[in-house]
Amino acid sequence: MASNAAVPFWRAAGMTYITYSNICANTVRNCLKEPYISEAVAREKVHFSVAKWVDGKPQKPIVRSDDPEE
Amino acid sequence: MAMAALRREGRRFAPMISPNPINSLRSSLAPSEEQAFIGVRSISTQIVRNRMKSVKNIQKITKAMKMVAASKLRAIQVRAENSRGLWQPFTALLGDTPSVDVKKNVIVTISSDKGLCGGINSTSVKTSRALFKLNSGPDKENRYVVLGEKAKAQLIRDSRKDIEITLTELQKNPLNYTQVSVLADEILKNVEYDALRIVFNKFGSVVSFMPTTATILSPEIVEKEAEAGGKIGDLDSYEIEGGETKSEILQNLTEFQFSCVMFNAVLENACSEQGARMSAMDSSSRNAGDMLDRLTLTYNRTRQASITTELIEIISGASALEG
Amino acid sequence: MFRQAPQLMARATTVAMRCRRLFSTDVPVEASADSTFVEAWRKLIPNIEPPKTPSSFMTPRPSTPASIPTKLTVNFVLPYSSQLSNKEVDMVIIPATTGLMGVLPGHVATIAELKPGVFSVHEGNDVTKYFVSSGFAFIHANSFADIIAVEAVPLDHIDPSLVHKGLADFTQKLNSASTDLEKAEAQIGVDVHSALNSALTG
Repeated sequence: MASNAAVPFWRAAGMTYITYSNICANTVRNCLKEPYISEAVAREKVHFSVAKWVDGKPQKPIVRSDDPEE
Repeated sequence: MAMAALRREGRRFAPMISPNPINSLRSSLAPSEEQAFIGVRSISTQIVRNRMKSVKNIQKITKAMKMVAASKLRAIQVRAENSRGLWQPFTALLGDTPSVDVKKNVIVTISSDKGLCGGINSTSVKTSRALFKLNSGPDKENRYVVLGEKAKAQLIRDSRKDIEITLTELQKNPLNYTQVSVLADEILKNVEYDALRIVFNKFGSVVSFMPTTATILSPEIVEKEAEAGGKIGDLDSYEIEGGETKSEILQNLTEFQFSCVMFNAVLENACSEQGARMSAMDSSSRNAGDMLDRLTLTYNRTRQASITTELIEIISGASALEG
Repeated sequence: MFRQAPQLMARATTVAMRCRRLFSTDVPVEASADSTFVEAWRKLIPNIEPPKTPSSFMTPRPSTPASIPTKLTVNFVLPYSSQLSNKEVDMVIIPATTGLMGVLPGHVATIAELKPGVFSVHEGNDVTKYFVSSGFAFIHANSFADIIAVEAVPLDHIDPSLVHKGLADFTQKLNSASTDLEKAEAQIGVDVHSALNSALTG
């Protein structure tokens, strides 16, 4: 995938290296055989809540989660 | 001697012993024989019995919490130790430069969401505050990024203005690399930095946690330091295999480094949290056990004293009749 | 900087390096940069002990030897395990973004970004292959190679039918993608699946 462009296509689209490597890893995980695939997918769940602060006041927190909202 | 002890206890419980509260207690509690004979200066055994019951419950709860923490620790310790190999190549390549002098420092403090885990969160916050002070200067900007409720609560008190982002609810699912890397990504996207200083507690053993700080430099600073020589001076001797420019690779590298070091840091901190909780709950159940022993002694003394009083009254009544 | 550690320390710690399975490896090697930090801390904040830094938890690497060593020492680490830790091998082939690259002892110091592909370790007549999703490889002048990957699976854990299906899905997504971000995601999917395909067939 050597490109002569100054930046790789994913960075030009606004992704960071972390996002890129996560998408690659996720794609590989989804191509595994059973039982590896179910244990891998079950392992990598994301859930956290992030709040930005402006001038010492927290803004409304955003929850990033793989689980459906309860 | 028993009476002297009783007098001491009586003084401690004096506020409770005034007649009116005891009457209300008598009406609400099941009357026991001893109560009819207790004077103003001794303690009702019912009260001591209630205290003993609640202390015993607390002991059961803390013992259970200790077991839970021990089992969680076992599970997460394996992962933490396996992840230790992850940051070492980066340190081998880029060195470790906590004394780097940069304009924008971002201090990432890792703490727990839940309490009852001993002093680890306070030590993290103390270390972060000290790093903040160490790196403050006329043209320097320092910001905090806080992970976990406990550090947030402590830092809000005096550093509200310097907090940039807070992240909570991390441990809803078992910790995994994807979660931490998405977190790291969030931080990188929202914060401008020259140096990121991650503060966490490294897990040594169940009784030893070492406050540690890992430093990650932004790609521009890495290039600057490489030119200046010193720790990262050898970086130039490395060929870049990737077709892109060196700064492009450095950018990818520093992002990846942050993600890996965060992963290890979060795992180590979680281990330390469980270990600290285990030892805190252990000392708590031991304390509860001691307290229970003392209360049992008090209870027995009270009981025996009331029996003695009863006997004395009977005997003196009998001898009065005879005499 | 660790490579320039005095020869004595290098000799003494080479034995320790063999068993680098870290448990309580607190080999406190206080390097000089740490001491500036420690001093500055102690001056300003005398009451609290200075925090430790990662270098104090790591055994230092040996310095570049004069002659090329016979074996390559490989560390292959994943987030959940260190697959290979200080293993001495003859050669490794890494899937760098510029193509497959063979690394022998004495290779010039390199930093390589990895693309999705097959990573193989050659030791004598044994070849162990893994499919890595992405990561980095550092080759140091002292014939140490660090390969850090996000996800690495042995080739027989991969399901070919899912690979074909995924490739078809993502090629279709690439054609129908509208925004830059969607195009990039679809492109990544296509790249990874094609690499998986060639790994299974090749």
